[in-house]
Amino acid sequence: MEISDKRLALQDAMVFLGAIASGTEQAIGESANSISYLAGVNLGKKMSEGVAHTSDIQEALELTRMVLEKNDYLWLFETFKPHDQESIVKENEAGTEVMLVFRDCMIRQSLFRFGHVQKGSLCNMMYGFFAGALQNIMSRESSLEIIHAGENACYKKLIVRRAE
Amino acid sequence: MSLELTVNEQSCRGCELCIDICPTKVFDLDSEKRLCVIKHPEDCIACLSCAYICPSNAITHTDYHAVKNFYRDAEFCKRMGKYL
Repeated sequence: MEISDKRLALQDAMVFLGAIASGTEQAIGESANSISYLAGVNLGKKMSEGVAHTSDIQEALELTRMVLEKNDYLWLFETFKPHDQESIVKENEAGTEVMLVFRDCMIRQSLFRFGHVQKGSLCNMMYGFFAGALQNIMSRESSLEIIHAGENACYKKLIVRRAE
Repeated sequence: MSLELTVNEQSCRGCELCIDICPTKVFDLDSEKRLCVIKHPEDCIACLSCAYICPSNAITHTDYHAVKNFYRDAEFCKRMGKYL
């Protein structure tokens, strides 16, 4: 397939995906988020099969980044340390907390381009992907809260729950 | 790449929209001048929400990573080919 055809096919696929996600959200409401989340968990688990196991969150994030890169997923992220925080990782009652910044994201770009709302079911798929990958890599449950969906970057809070 | 953030004092009307929208609390209000000021530039993640929402276009970012408009990016399309 020629690159220009691939580009068109990719654009069509993302328009279609955005429309399905938006339509599902309208039809079944918040359940759409759970469905996408579970799809993301399965994807995250599948993609991270055979990846080394670690209990260090920064190492686990690096491994997750490698999984994404290896599969050509444009979901690259970086850790962020606010000025009033001593280190990137913060421990609290819920578990280990790390702030993440996502820049190039195919979901955000598609949703903005075609006028769909952010923080919906497709974003929950990303949340699921992290939860699935970190379950494999760290054997721990996690949550990825979208603090802010900006035009050029998203700001998210990753909490890896304590091992029970 | 070192991000630079500026607020044009002559344009700023002190509406505080940038303060409200910024997720990392980069801005503060100078209550004497009734102007928005940059308090923690090191915390700016270049989400550009402040620049988009500012009604007087007073906020400018330079030297930041602009996200790829991926479906127009030939290299990305080439890599995504295996999913199509």
